[in-house]
Amino acid sequence: MATAGGGGGAASGGRRTCLLLCFVSLLAGLCQANSVERKIYIPLNRTAPCVRLLNATHQIGCQSSISGDTGVIHVVEEEEDLQWVLTDGPNPPYMVLLEGKLFNRKLMDKLKGTQRISGLAVAVAKPSPVDGFSPSVECPNDGFGIYSDSYGSEYAHCKKLRWNPEGNGLAYEDFDFPIFLLEDENETQIIKQCYWDHNRGVNGSAPAYPLCAMQLFSHMHAVTSTVTCMRRSAIQSTFSINPEVVCDPLADFNVWNTLNPLNASGKLEPGDKVIIAATRLDSRSFFWNVAPGAESAVGSFITQLAVAEALQKAPDVAALPRNVMFVFFQGETFDYIGSSRMVYDMEKGKFPVQLENIHSFVELGQVALKNSSDLWMHTDPMSQRDESIYTEVQNLLAILKNSSNGVPNVTMKEANSQNSLPPSSFQRFLRSQNISGVVLTDHPLAFYNRYYQSIYDTAENIGLKYPPTLTPDQAMDFVTDIAKSLASVATVLGRALYQLAGGTNHTAVEADPVTVSRLLYGFLVKANNSWFQSVIRQDLKVFLGDGPLQHYIAVSSPINTTYVVQYVLANLTGTVVNLTREQCQDPKKAQDANKDLYEYAWVQGPEDPSGTGRLPQCVRSTARLAKAVSPAFELQQWGSSEYSTWTESRWKDIRARIFLVASKELEFVTLIVGLSILFVSLIVTYFINAKADILFTTPREPGAVSY
Amino acid sequence: MRAEDGPQAPESPAALGASALRKEEGKAAEDSYRLGLTYDSGGRLEIPTHLLFPAALPRPSPGPRMNLERVSNEEKLNLCRKYYLGGFALLPFLWLVNVLWFFREAFLAPAYEEQGQIKGYVWRSALGLVFWLVALTSWITIFQINRARWGALGDYLSFTIPLGIP
Amino acid sequence: MTAAVFFGCTFIAFGPALALYVFTIASDPLRIIFLIAGAFFWLVSLLLSSLIWFVAVTLSSTKDESVQKGLLIFGVLCSVIIQEVFRFAYYRLLKKANKGLMTISQEETSPISIRQLAYVSGLGFGIMSGVFSLVNILSDSLGPGIVGIHGDPPQFFLASAFMTLVMVLLHVFWGVVFFDACETKNWWALIVVIVSHLLVSGLTFLNPYYKASLVASYVIMLLMGIWAFFTAGGSCRNLKRCLLCRDKDFLLSNQRAR
Repeated sequence: MATAGGGGGAASGGRRTCLLLCFVSLLAGLCQANSVERKIYIPLNRTAPCVRLLNATHQIGCQSSISGDTGVIHVVEEEEDLQWVLTDGPNPPYMVLLEGKLFNRKLMDKLKGTQRISGLAVAVAKPSPVDGFSPSVECPNDGFGIYSDSYGSEYAHCKKLRWNPEGNGLAYEDFDFPIFLLEDENETQIIKQCYWDHNRGVNGSAPAYPLCAMQLFSHMHAVTSTVTCMRRSAIQSTFSINPEVVCDPLADFNVWNTLNPLNASGKLEPGDKVIIAATRLDSRSFFWNVAPGAESAVGSFITQLAVAEALQKAPDVAALPRNVMFVFFQGETFDYIGSSRMVYDMEKGKFPVQLENIHSFVELGQVALKNSSDLWMHTDPMSQRDESIYTEVQNLLAILKNSSNGVPNVTMKEANSQNSLPPSSFQRFLRSQNISGVVLTDHPLAFYNRYYQSIYDTAENIGLKYPPTLTPDQAMDFVTDIAKSLASVATVLGRALYQLAGGTNHTAVEADPVTVSRLLYGFLVKANNSWFQSVIRQDLKVFLGDGPLQHYIAVSSPINTTYVVQYVLANLTGTVVNLTREQCQDPKKAQDANKDLYEYAWVQGPEDPSGTGRLPQCVRSTARLAKAVSPAFELQQWGSSEYSTWTESRWKDIRARIFLVASKELEFVTLIVGLSILFVSLIVTYFINAKADILFTTPREPGAVSY
Repeated sequence: MRAEDGPQAPESPAALGASALRKEEGKAAEDSYRLGLTYDSGGRLEIPTHLLFPAALPRPSPGPRMNLERVSNEEKLNLCRKYYLGGFALLPFLWLVNVLWFFREAFLAPAYEEQGQIKGYVWRSALGLVFWLVALTSWITIFQINRARWGALGDYLSFTIPLGIP
Repeated sequence: MTAAVFFGCTFIAFGPALALYVFTIASDPLRIIFLIAGAFFWLVSLLLSSLIWFVAVTLSSTKDESVQKGLLIFGVLCSVIIQEVFRFAYYRLLKKANKGLMTISQEETSPISIRQLAYVSGLGFGIMSGVFSLVNILSDSLGPGIVGIHGDPPQFFLASAFMTLVMVLLHVFWGVVFFDACETKNWWALIVVIVSHLLVSGLTFLNPYYKASLVASYVIMLLMGIWAFFTAGGSCRNLKRCLLCRDKDFLLSNQRAR
């Protein structure tokens, strides 16, 4: 309301006139915030909070009090600045604005141990911290893979090898103060300016009031553990008049397709064999819904998408004796939600493919190939104690090595066979059945990714750079070095899968580097590009933002990544069929459609050459979604140690704002002045009233009569 | 208002007392009918406007039944017993009311025949009240201290579960 | 701790009004009724001026700064005039009501004099306008922040409270002078009331130079107060008598309400 702005400026102090009262009565509803509030607060719009997540036994994340936590801002740019916050500063509690490079374990431990801070705002470090930063743990998904104290105990808890040595575990820690990420440098600058203007005393002395302060709201409803919060949700929704769900299970959908169509509502014969190619879709970071996961997830699932396309284009696919299934598991970061659910469904016969149908399993781990061209094949030492599995695995390794012949940029190498498998979905399958399988990664031992599951695992981390002169469409098709490497990996994997499926002419399989380039651009640079727009359903186009997609598994319905991957997969592996919109959306109406074998999608299609709109089309593919909800919630075993139990707390209000605070003295003076005016006027009025008859002489005649 | 209600009210008591006739039984109803007093179902006294201007009425008005001074001793005893017995229906507030209401009658008023019995009822009501007070206070204290520790039990015993704290 | 600011500002703005209410109004039901009716009349005037404002803003949907400023001044003008018109309407109504009261009264005189009515209705106007102008600000004074992050002076709450105090008292004085002017058909006094109302409202355009607007408003209030004192039957002699406690009937006259 521009009028409110103008009015607020002119009549700010007194507001004597009715004018602004008019605002109050009539326009208040139309105004976003009233003009007084806008004079006091600057809201911070581009922030990401750290929220509370819970598992069977613990709570992690952060929380503020219900009315938000307030503190005087102190900017900590060097570690020495912390001295002021922890001991010297005279105005605790402090709200610390922390430079991203200082956001580490050591400093957080110091902050955790003090009552003198009320919260933390972290500015993104640019460039990314040189020493690496991973808020994940050293041994990701420990306890939910195959190795445990009773099975392969020498490998359990990463005893042999800490996969993520950079992991400081901050993202799995519980903080009792709010922590926000400042995503926008301009806002960070505003806060710093406010700090410089108001909170800097002369020569290190205490600054004078008013001081610049920040308030962070991130009050979480759930507490203690998933057991507690799910129980409370259940009790509240059955007994309470005002049902209040306090937490939701982390849940989404796996994306899967098969090379040759199979009946999705039936079951495979025990003799039918399927080769599974798997990877993960999700990542996370310390902050809610900030999960770029470039190396930890995107690199590998992009490669697998390229594999799916390459294999679909290979000759004689329909004649292959074995089928190939591509699975993109969702929620693997949180103790293998997607894969554990798929295994559970396979065991219960709720999935067309059963465990015994699985011929072999090839999983793509982190495959950015930044440091060298070596691609390492990890195998499981425990299952290979079985002679037949050992033979199959060796065969698998041989095929993979063979496939890399003649492919540039990639050298297949066997990882130490006495090492355990890296954290991978394959482990969940091995938990249920001994299957021959291999996990492909770019690291022989610990992760090469130094920003595993952090906000810095972005396009820069995998070395994705474009010449600055390109237009968006040019950049999308620009084949970068990383695109070439990933395409090579895809070619190797595609050829190996082709051979495993029984194909012979495997050199005909070739992944397209341009596809990889487009995928890299779409997932890591700009989701709202012409290609993604053309492959997605019209109602989903709002999901495509101008930045990269975030890959945090949400609590409800498919997230952006899941949809985009599904439709990209459908576009890469499917065919355009000639169906009308109605037939496409309800294939029962079309005679030549087969809903059991195929999935039909009415997508926006390419832009009309005349530039007047799009040419929507119907795409037939086998790309489907499969539920990725941990079986623990299906079974209501909220304290399960077998399945993932991660839940996300609910909240009402998450926001941040900065403002000035007055000194206690000024507030006190205001109160005293108010009280004295009250008492003085009470006394004065009493005496005036008492002596009214003397003070005010009424006309002689009791003459109100004349009135 | 005075000009309108004043003269009119005594002439049409039926209109004022009609609701009372339906709600109250027996003598009390007749009483209130005569006076133009009405009790609503909650026992709250509604005073017709003409009572606010006593000058408009031909005779002074006696107080309502709730005023113990105007009730016979028999009736006092009866009331006190009813409240005492009612308290056993898990209604400690009745005992509280009984104690407060009849304390003066039982211990301070000059002696009369039924006073002994009223005294007894008041004493017993007070005892019951103290019992309830002690029981409730200790239960609430125990519950508040231990709710979080009891876990599931604490949640099942809670009507509203607080958000964001154990 | 910001509750201190809230209560401080509330007491500053409404302390005198509360005192006046407690000692002069609360004892008499008739006065309470007229007070609330006065407040209601002020509310109706507010409703009318906000309607006009709403129409004006909707019609001129520009973001031009100077047009907005002009609109604001126009709004102030309208609002002040409408308020005074309603004061006059209330005066007419009270005259009628007073006649009615007199007919049912057993005594010869009206139970409440027109001079008292002037004071009571003025207080009603003042309290309501004070509440409406300050309540939003008060609700924000509870929050953790104070005005100033955009460079505005931080005394905003305090200045608003003192300004409201002026308005409340001014409405009382205006009420007394206005009613008396109507009684005596002293039209120039009426004009002075309206002009001073406009002047004080216009002074708020000086903000955020609180010192200037506050000092000027307090001077006007003082002058209006003195004028109202004499209008209400006060005189220097009375004041002297009162201050020196010479009056022997003091205790007696104390018994009767003003």
